[in-house]
Amino acid sequence: MGHAPGFPVPCSISRVIFVTLTRSTTPDIIGVVESAIVASGLRRVFPPDLAAVDGIDLDIKPGQIFGFLGANGSGKTTTIRMLTTLLRPTEGSATVDGYDVVKDASKVRARVGVALQEASLDLVMTGRETLALQARLYRVPRGDLSQRVRDLLRIVDLEEAADRRVGTYSGGMQRRLDLAAALVHRPRIVFLDEPTSGLDPISRNTIWRYVEDLNRNDGVTFFLTTQYLEEADRLAHEVAIMERGRIVAQGAPAELKASVGADVVTVRLEDEDFQPDRAVAALKAINGLSDIRVVGDSVVIYTKDGSSAIAPIVLALNESSVAVEEVTLARPTLDDVFLRKTGHHMEAHDVNLEPAGEGGAAS
Amino acid sequence: MIDTVLDTYALTLRSLREVVRQPAFEVQNYFIPLFFFAVTVAALGNVSARAFGVENYQAFAMPVAVLQGAAGGASFSALAMVTDIERGYFDKLLLTPTPRISLVLGRLFGDGIRVVIITAVILFVGFLFGTGMEAGILGYIAILVLAGLFGLAYAGFGLAIALRTGSPQAAQAGFLIFFPLLFLSPAFAPKEFFDGWLEFLATFNPVTYILEGMRTLVIEGWDWGQVGEALLAIAILAGINMPLALFALRHRTA
Repeated sequence: MGHAPGFPVPCSISRVIFVTLTRSTTPDIIGVVESAIVASGLRRVFPPDLAAVDGIDLDIKPGQIFGFLGANGSGKTTTIRMLTTLLRPTEGSATVDGYDVVKDASKVRARVGVALQEASLDLVMTGRETLALQARLYRVPRGDLSQRVRDLLRIVDLEEAADRRVGTYSGGMQRRLDLAAALVHRPRIVFLDEPTSGLDPISRNTIWRYVEDLNRNDGVTFFLTTQYLEEADRLAHEVAIMERGRIVAQGAPAELKASVGADVVTVRLEDEDFQPDRAVAALKAINGLSDIRVVGDSVVIYTKDGSSAIAPIVLALNESSVAVEEVTLARPTLDDVFLRKTGHHMEAHDVNLEPAGEGGAAS
Repeated sequence: MIDTVLDTYALTLRSLREVVRQPAFEVQNYFIPLFFFAVTVAALGNVSARAFGVENYQAFAMPVAVLQGAAGGASFSALAMVTDIERGYFDKLLLTPTPRISLVLGRLFGDGIRVVIITAVILFVGFLFGTGMEAGILGYIAILVLAGLFGLAYAGFGLAIALRTGSPQAAQAGFLIFFPLLFLSPAFAPKEFFDGWLEFLATFNPVTYILEGMRTLVIEGWDWGQVGEALLAIAILAGINMPLALFALRHRTA
């Protein structure tokens, strides 16, 4: 910054300063790390009184991949719809790239790319037409338009199918086209709502690779919702776990997993002689276990050192004559984080709403 | 402003492309009006002179066919809009920085152009069967313009329903409401022969004036007064339907 105008400076550095200046809402404060997405007390109530999103705070730095993890109906999509201006918050506020999502909605729209759930496309148009219309509406200059469309088709590997109607595309191809459609105007911030749900593993991997490449090579910030723990774990620098409209845990995946304790021992009890209460009572006598929970047909035990805890656990259960089907030891996953915070597995959300650890409701 | 115009143009093209690629949807817009035209002329053509003093019933019925075709053509965008909403493509359009009004205008102009084409075909069929046009070539042009403007004004109603409900059944009902409007106008006989209550209702029906304006051009010749009344009726229709459509769009995006 101490360079006089015209003084030769390394071009990459001068560009970084330029970017900071133009993207800042308060250009006189240089050096403050800005946020790509900020939400404070964001809330949306659907009539009569369903709080789909119930007061969430977010602060997402530029260049991050932020994973928004939660089961169906946890409020992920409502959040993304508010952040992308499709839905007005009932309370609270949010800014994206420094602009308020309500007051400066059109500025927000011009700056972000969005791919909604289930590839929302017009089946009658061809892939090329879809991208061309999208580019036109995002104000890509006329002269660059067809080249940009060609480049995107190449990036998502749809060159051959470009002039076929979208209705003839497979699910994976539609998602790829949808992703390309979100990128026509080279946005710095991209929102993806469940980008891989329902896709086969190969297509899923392809989408992951695009996201990683764009993030690594171009510094694009991603806000992606997912119900796949694996996806959040693989892609996200930071995750927030959403449960019934609230964020129950937030942080880097590794941090969150470390917070669980250390290891997770899962003891599956025999169906015929299902006695979780007796099992929990027996286990409580053992030292060094940080938490014990009953989840479905199993007892889940958190402990610092899983391998040395297994022997005392099995012995204690045996002495109390609790019939054990299986014992497993694992490093914690994001699902364990979820379980620890909410008392149930993420996938079980719809079926098992009972708080765990209170009884023997086998699922 | 320039963005509104360019985006509206791009979205109008998209709307027209749908028609070309789904020609099956268009068949009824040509078939129904021409079928009604043929059967009413065949049924009433021989008695109309004695019954209510209409010498050339074919000319009398031609504007009815034009308006039927126009109402059919102007109902396409409501269904297309519902499809966009159901598939989520409408959200994708809402996410772009395009002016909201372009999303409505692109659909309306698509319908307006479609209506002009349908009208041209119906007029041409009439010409082939010797319907005639007293106002000459200017009469043909005026009817095309009136039908196109009526299409724009009428399509707003269907769009309002589509945006408000997002339901295909409701959007379909937007087209059906045209039939009472048509039957409450002097579609099949001159107004003077109506019972008092029907004449009363027909007097307040904008379709009456659009129909009579076109009919004058076909049967009698150019008449600024009648054309003016038709334009005013279309303006009133638009004045009701456009705010409804824009209000429904606002409601959907709130």
